Amino acid sequence: MALDTSMSVLVVDDYKTMIRIIRNLLKQLGFEDVDEAADGTEALGKMKERRYGLVISDWNMEPMTGYELLKQVRADSSLAKTPFIMVTAESKTENVIAAKKAGVNNYIVKPFNAQTLKGKIEAVFGV
Amino acid sequence: MTLLTEKEVSNVVDYLKRTRLSEDVSLDDVMGLAEVMAESLRPALSGLDATVHRDLGDMAREIAAMKRELAEMRLGEVRTDKIGTAGRELDAVVEATEEATNIIMTAAEAIMGADPADVDGFQAVVNDRVIEIFEACSFQDITGQRIGKVVSTLSLIDDRLNRLVERLKLNVDAPTEPAEETAAERRARELILHGPQAKGEGVSQNDIDDMFP
Repeated sequence: MALDTSMSVLVVDDYKTMIRIIRNLLKQLGFEDVDEAADGTEALGKMKERRYGLVISDWNMEPMTGYELLKQVRADSSLAKTPFIMVTAESKTENVIAAKKAGVNNYIVKPFNAQTLKGKIEAVFGV
Repeated sequence: MTLLTEKEVSNVVDYLKRTRLSEDVSLDDVMGLAEVMAESLRPALSGLDATVHRDLGDMAREIAAMKRELAEMRLGEVRTDKIGTAGRELDAVVEATEEATNIIMTAAEAIMGADPADVDGFQAVVNDRVIEIFEACSFQDITGQRIGKVVSTLSLIDDRLNRLVERLKLNVDAPTEPAEETAAERRARELILHGPQAKGEGVSQNDIDDMFP
């Protein structure tokens, strides 16, 4: 089964350069419909207006972190099933365990390469 | 029995009036007071006990030496000059890396967006943009030098702090009351914010992959 690249992806990061990197990597993978948000609050607002096929989020952001965003998404029945990948420099075991408990679908540690991003997206969609 | 003469007491009182210790008491004030006290007590005790008299003299000399050494450490220079400069150097590093990243990414995006069907045009874009990428990478030399200056400042602070601790005979290993948690610390704890880990610390991507079979 091939990866469906027609889905819309929401990239959440407070660092513009990181959004640009992920956006370009996604473009290389064939994803054209990529939206962005600078923190969890903005992302949650966008998710309530539009359905995204995948959320790729940083952890450490102000005012709402990616971890809080994940918990709010999973607590909202209309958003709960949205696939969610955390891409973060937070690499302590307790972070990974907390994110997994909160319902994250996969976890990528920065810095990462294109192959890792591709592999995790494919794993989330069972490709 | 009267230990201090009126003149000796007035020396201490004058010092207290002159330095207005009731407002902000500094280490310098305390050392100054101890020095005046030691000097004032010496004549009164000289006739009573030679050992106490000698000890007070030693104490006064020790305080004077400590004041001289503290002045030689030029702590004010570290605070106002070195730390301020280090902060500006780090700001410049952030700015330079951001600028270089933007140039490199813009060049890479231009190459990615160029049409390979137009062979000559594609080659021209690649050649021009690769030169831009090389030029932008020169930031590393400058930022390396700037970071080197910051590291020197940190070493200087470390050295002077160690000398201060040693000179004041501070027991830095003594248990202290835990500091009250700040709002930023509470947020970091509750939201599990640690920031990037040093090389070899934290879990690797492979370890994480094992947790997401």
